[in-house]
Amino acid sequence: MFKKRKSTYDHVLSEMDFNEDVFGISTYQWQEYSNSDTDEKQTLHGICRMCMQGDCATAVHLENGVVVKVEGREVPPNYGSLCPRGNSATMNLYNPYRVKTPLIRTNPEKGLNVDPMWKEVSWEEALDYTAKKLKEVRDEDPRGLAVCEGWGNRETIMRIPFRLAFGSPNEIGAHGSLCTVHYGTGLIHGNFPISVVDLEHCDYHITLGRSIGPNIATVPGTRKLTKALKRGMKLVVVDPRSSYEAAKGEWVPIRPGTDLAFLLGLAHSILFDVKIYDVWFLKNRTNGPYLIDDQGDYLRDEQTGKPMMWDLTDGIAKVFDAQFGNIALEGTYTVNGTEVKTGFEHIKEGFRDYTPEWAETISTVPAQDIRRIAKEFIEHARIGSTIEIEGFSFPFRPVSVNTERNVMNHRGGTYSDLVAKIINMLAGAIEVPGGCLGCGYRGPEALAPGPDGTMMPGYEAKDRPFVFPPDIGMHSFYPNSHTTPHLAAHALADPEKYYLTYEVKAWLNIGGNIIKYNANPEQYVNMMKKIPFSVSIAYHMDEPTIMSDVVLPEHSFMERSRVAPFWPQHQAASYEVHALQMLQRRQPVTPIYNTMHVDDIFTELAERIGILYGENGMYDYLNRDVDYIIKENGLNLREPYLLDINKKHTLSDIHELQVKSWKFGDGETMEDLERDGNIVKWQPKKTAYNYYYHPDNQTRHEFYIINLKRTADQLRKNLEKHQIKFPGVEDDSIVFDLYRPVPYWVPSSEFGVSEEYDLWAINWKTPYYSSDIGGVVGNPWLAEIYRKDPWEAVICLNSTTAQRKGVKDGDRVTVESRYGKLEGLVRISELFHPDAVGISGAYGMGTVQSNPLSKEGPLFNRLLTTKEDTLDSVSGGIEIAPCVKIVKKGGLA
Amino acid sequence: MRYGMLIDLTKCVGCNACTVACRNHNGTPSGISLHKIMKYEVGKFPHSKMKFLPMPCMQCENAPCEKACPIGATVKKSNGIVEVLADKCMGCRGCVAACPYDSRQFVWEIKNYYEQAPVTLFEKRKQKEFQKGTVVKCTFCQKRLEHGLEPACVSTCPSQCRIFGDLDDPGSELSKAIAAGNARPFREDLETNPSVYYING
Repeated sequence: MFKKRKSTYDHVLSEMDFNEDVFGISTYQWQEYSNSDTDEKQTLHGICRMCMQGDCATAVHLENGVVVKVEGREVPPNYGSLCPRGNSATMNLYNPYRVKTPLIRTNPEKGLNVDPMWKEVSWEEALDYTAKKLKEVRDEDPRGLAVCEGWGNRETIMRIPFRLAFGSPNEIGAHGSLCTVHYGTGLIHGNFPISVVDLEHCDYHITLGRSIGPNIATVPGTRKLTKALKRGMKLVVVDPRSSYEAAKGEWVPIRPGTDLAFLLGLAHSILFDVKIYDVWFLKNRTNGPYLIDDQGDYLRDEQTGKPMMWDLTDGIAKVFDAQFGNIALEGTYTVNGTEVKTGFEHIKEGFRDYTPEWAETISTVPAQDIRRIAKEFIEHARIGSTIEIEGFSFPFRPVSVNTERNVMNHRGGTYSDLVAKIINMLAGAIEVPGGCLGCGYRGPEALAPGPDGTMMPGYEAKDRPFVFPPDIGMHSFYPNSHTTPHLAAHALADPEKYYLTYEVKAWLNIGGNIIKYNANPEQYVNMMKKIPFSVSIAYHMDEPTIMSDVVLPEHSFMERSRVAPFWPQHQAASYEVHALQMLQRRQPVTPIYNTMHVDDIFTELAERIGILYGENGMYDYLNRDVDYIIKENGLNLREPYLLDINKKHTLSDIHELQVKSWKFGDGETMEDLERDGNIVKWQPKKTAYNYYYHPDNQTRHEFYIINLKRTADQLRKNLEKHQIKFPGVEDDSIVFDLYRPVPYWVPSSEFGVSEEYDLWAINWKTPYYSSDIGGVVGNPWLAEIYRKDPWEAVICLNSTTAQRKGVKDGDRVTVESRYGKLEGLVRISELFHPDAVGISGAYGMGTVQSNPLSKEGPLFNRLLTTKEDTLDSVSGGIEIAPCVKIVKKGGLA
Repeated sequence: MRYGMLIDLTKCVGCNACTVACRNHNGTPSGISLHKIMKYEVGKFPHSKMKFLPMPCMQCENAPCEKACPIGATVKKSNGIVEVLADKCMGCRGCVAACPYDSRQFVWEIKNYYEQAPVTLFEKRKQKEFQKGTVVKCTFCQKRLEHGLEPACVSTCPSQCRIFGDLDDPGSELSKAIAAGNARPFREDLETNPSVYYING
């Protein structure tokens, strides 16, 4: 090993294992920041960004230009509170491990532990160099650019317009393959990203694999849940771990990866034991009564092509929108000499064998508990009751079962969500007070019916068009997937196999960490090594940034000027924010390093590449941009406030036009926003429930999941048309088996494996780490707490499991899946299911130049794989509970 | 007037927003925490649960720390707040040992949070308020109280599990909530008569 010179990095370098081939150490010396010389006290309006929701209103107090305190403002949505991450924001701003000046690599060798030998350059040089490289790629083939986005910066308004103006279809979300939770909500609620419980009214809530608030310490969710519990709501937490939320309700321990079996058992018990369900809802607001032909499609009227239902009064099948005496929900009927069943009957028959006893053998949840929960759920649903809100009568169904990441990220995970939706539909608890609500768009479009009388699938449930050759994310083959960085990695490693006909020559990283926050980190390191040019718009020297050729340092969130609309919240709903339309303002703190606002970076690059102005330029696309989540309710530019696409605009100018364009505005300007920090426009509470827009029998949800079948049929046709095979799998039945219209038990890839893998690893987000935002793992205020937390950054085992394995608290063990392994210290805890190996958060990894804190602890994601035959083919989700074995260091375990 | 606090453990979710808000407000050096949450578990699987016990200084009426100080550097103020007079404290640490709630810490040195990096601008300002070789403790954020604000841990709490107020006023929201919730101090048997009450949960 060669001798290294002393440098400012020595403390970091000394901890790393270098290989012999490493270059010398960097010439890059971080510049010391200087204090502002203003001699005054000042308070700025802030918007927090220490979690993905990023909407807590803050007051940022400064003395002599130095931030001395960040606290919550007594306004919506957080009403004065902040979470531990939000309270630690000051350390995000003053993080000395931030990138402080533009950098260009001089060492051609790339690796996480290889010093890039950065050359510090001026912004002019960095932008000119980057633009020149990107222009070369664009001139050859614009598809050669891949933009990789992530939670680290979801505030940019220019990223998508930049890529569209560049002409590339390739945008990859760095993180989403471990959070593929969107299909069911898109299909049943016409919403994105997920669906949540109405904590204003709910009396009985079952939650699986997710957080209502406390598990990840979000302020709004925690506030709402606390109030609901005080009101007397019963909370049932089905989880392999007795979590923060389980501490506040009934904990139902479950074997990892078996939620689908539990949910099928629950649905069975409602259908066959309790035998009470919301018949009115099912007949009038679902496709349950639609007659199904022998192909599994709707039986259609020959003349009109409309789906049909059976009228029990007249004893005939009629088109769904005819006058009915009594709609048949269940049963088999003869139409034109053929026996046909209703969609409801197909589901009921499909669930007949999934008894609670069957579910117990798989999930370990006692059959009697499943039966009791089914009974309690229906009892609390108050089927038939109504509630009046502002003069409008709604069905009142104060129950909801909700699932997320740890339920859906398995093969068959989309089915789990859909079975939960079916259970909610059995109770009639969809988009009505007390029940399950989409947490995004509130308005007439969400539940609007299509020609079949059922609501049109929204967001990720709406098939993407089949494009061939495909984009690098392989969306053509996964038309309903969430983000697919793993499939992009596969395709770039073997372009021919994945029908990729062009080369990705440039990679633009903005806020995402594709290496650490996925499965199999080495795969992404190798991918980035192969890409000829990569640029990172970076906050700190994380894994993708150390692999880059150019680093463009961006402002930290507190330095980033921002105007934002309010998006409904991810964890729960209540009147604290129901029907709240709001703009919020973040007044920026003066930047302390030589950084730029991300949107100014995009603007400068676009101008230099020649894609800023004119038709199909970046400004043109910004003019046309519509908020993905809340659509027309977002902060969209519109006449007469569109940008002049032929002149350059400052970000402040654009903000001004955005505020004036806002649909809910009443002549307000930036001046109002600067003064108050927000513009609040409460809407009628009834508009928070999308039932309001399509009441009675004016729309229908898919109880019989025909959309899956349609997608599969279309996909098969497209494969045939192009005479191609489904890429990455030996036998495509492993894909198409997940597109059946009646959900059924699908064991994940981690069952039926060799007996030595006798446990399943589980992972969860924490109060200190809710997602990869704000450099939370490297924040020393949070680190001081998570280092002392009994269940953080350790390997948690139930005492009986530990005894069986002969390990003691504090022993060092290796946890090994079939795909990877990690090491860590054992924590014996009664909070874990005996079949589970619990590993929290996303610790570990790090780079030769990163914050030492980000290298500590086990990285759960090392245990995961991206192999196609382990994925949930509908959502593209990665298996999140791999079967594992544990081995004591220096002995057997 | 006797300042007091109620913490409703049925509401507390153990998130530590209070602990970080305390640090955010007081700017304590690395390793010094004026507030903590004890996290533990109770019960055997499958009846096991997480438990949380947030602990500011109990501001005891019968304060062992006050008695332990040989030079009167710990004083109990008329508003019930127990305070260390930093200029008087000689660093003997008798009070640290005497406190049954582990609410006091000795400042051995003033350390940066980013251990191997230069001091941050925030810490540069805030560290001036701490003296090496003295004992520090929670004072219910008395500077905030002077400005009519509640302690930082109270105002930031996402589950709103804390109520702050005057224990001497039977009509205060605090006194009423203590009575209604049958709230008790932690380790009442020690007869320290704390000003912090808990609703068990």
